[in-house]
Amino acid sequence: MRNDSSMTALRAQGLSVTLGGRRVLQDVTLEAQPGEVLALLGPNGAGKSTLLKVLAGLLPYEGRVEIADTDLASLAPRTRAKRISYVPQRSLLRSALSVEEVVALGRYVHGGRFGGTSSNDQDAIDRALETTHAEALRDRIFTQLSVGEQQRVLLARALASDAPILLLDEPTAALDVGEGLAVLRLIRQLTARKHTLIVVLHDLADARSTTDRALLLKEGVVVEQGKTADVVSAGPVRAVYGVKLIENARIGFEPDVETSGAE
Amino acid sequence: MRLYPLLFLLLLVAGALAVLVGSGDLADPELRDTFLELRGYRLTAAFMAGAALAVGGVVVQGLFRNPLASPSVLGTTAGASFGGQVALLTYGLTGTGGSFVVPEMIVPVGCFLGALAALAVLLFFLRITQDLLALLLTGFVLSALFLSLSAFVTSIAQETWELGRAVVSFSLGSVSGTGPRQLSFALPLIAAALLACWAWGRSLDLLLSGEEEAQSLGANVGAVRWWSAIWVSVLVAGAVSVGGNVGFVGLVVPHMMRPFAGTKHQALIPAAALAGGIFLVACDIIARIIPSRSEIPLGVVTGLIGAPLFLLLLVRLRRERALA
Repeated sequence: MRNDSSMTALRAQGLSVTLGGRRVLQDVTLEAQPGEVLALLGPNGAGKSTLLKVLAGLLPYEGRVEIADTDLASLAPRTRAKRISYVPQRSLLRSALSVEEVVALGRYVHGGRFGGTSSNDQDAIDRALETTHAEALRDRIFTQLSVGEQQRVLLARALASDAPILLLDEPTAALDVGEGLAVLRLIRQLTARKHTLIVVLHDLADARSTTDRALLLKEGVVVEQGKTADVVSAGPVRAVYGVKLIENARIGFEPDVETSGAE
Repeated sequence: MRLYPLLFLLLLVAGALAVLVGSGDLADPELRDTFLELRGYRLTAAFMAGAALAVGGVVVQGLFRNPLASPSVLGTTAGASFGGQVALLTYGLTGTGGSFVVPEMIVPVGCFLGALAALAVLLFFLRITQDLLALLLTGFVLSALFLSLSAFVTSIAQETWELGRAVVSFSLGSVSGTGPRQLSFALPLIAAALLACWAWGRSLDLLLSGEEEAQSLGANVGAVRWWSAIWVSVLVAGAVSVGGNVGFVGLVVPHMMRPFAGTKHQALIPAAALAGGIFLVACDIIARIIPSRSEIPLGVVTGLIGAPLFLLLLVRLRRERALA
């Protein structure tokens, strides 16, 4: 575990959130380091997605969030978006934009108001499409894609911004097993590039296979925090979900090297 | 055929027809120059108003993420219209609009003041709540308020036959009485607002994905809404001041252009501006050539052409959604 504070990409202290008069998060403290995946876990309604939105600067909060030692609240929307990308579960986009146009939206923070797409922008867009294996979708209309394809394009849009911190809200929720594995594998690859990833996950097995550290929430309060293997273990899981955890009991899946190609 | 060559060709044809067609004999050497001059002003006014309304429609449809929005949803159209009618009434009843305004400028100035009044209320509520639904409802209520005030002005104006006729004719829309002063008053305002809308285009693109995503991508959503409301109001005020209250342009033209110019605002806005201008010039020609005791009001023509056109677009829009 790294304790060097200069390495800390994102730190939250004493975060509390009240929405519509209801306390949704209570005194949450967390840290995320470059090159690691932090999982936000918990039952429905525990406040995982709310926490993610707060860290993305999309909701008002009490407490303090620091991005590389800078106060999140002090950042202008553009500066913030250059440092943090947020990938929603589903996009609300309903207009007929092409995949390339959608990914280009991630470059907004780098462009001038009047400028079109610079060669830097185009490079970043191409790289993001390549990383997410979405090049073939480039000219398709975003709204006509499958949910899994849309998820990859949203990830590409986030990557195109070149932000070092990526926040993903249940990226595998609506995907089939193959698409889900592909996205999880992509998440692992991004850590090699020193991205900081914070991912809301529903599936505890996915969390165990993909993330380094985890934070377990129940009713807005952190119940357990630490290495994923320790958090997703019998005690905390029983306390939060009221179920027994049985090691190695479920069937598992892994990518087929022959059909998906080795990286 | 490429989009822009086609639009410029259409503009050329419409412009030529607009100068050549109408009651009044161009063969008469004494009156020819006057006719040409008047038709030139009229052509310019129709083009400006059409461009302004179409771009206003593009911006409002992006702002509300609703393809059925038109610039009048902000309530500033009704405000401008009411302002113009009050100006007409004041002038008609007192014979003066105050010594500081030349008579032909009374209506345009009134339109701008009316639009400003509506905009002030709108921005006041936008400051209190950032909520999109609140903005939509405020616009709706403002429209209803100014429409009833306009009805009140119309009923007062009925007491004098000529004044009543002027007020009603204004509210139906017309570019026939527009002169150089009105044009040079509205032109810089419309031009500035068109440029500003284009400059906000990239931010409006982000808003197509909804408030939260737009914010996460770096847009200052509050600022986009605030400034869009202002620039659309300027466009609308400019359009009403040279053309009266003309409906359907802002609703229909953006839809006509999206399949050709795309959805991205900086590509759509110039195409919509040109197409909107052409559309209104064409409607004005039709208003002149349909045989009638007096000229058919422009707002009636845009409605008669716009409504069926819009229904056609609606059918196509539904079909596209079904495919998606």
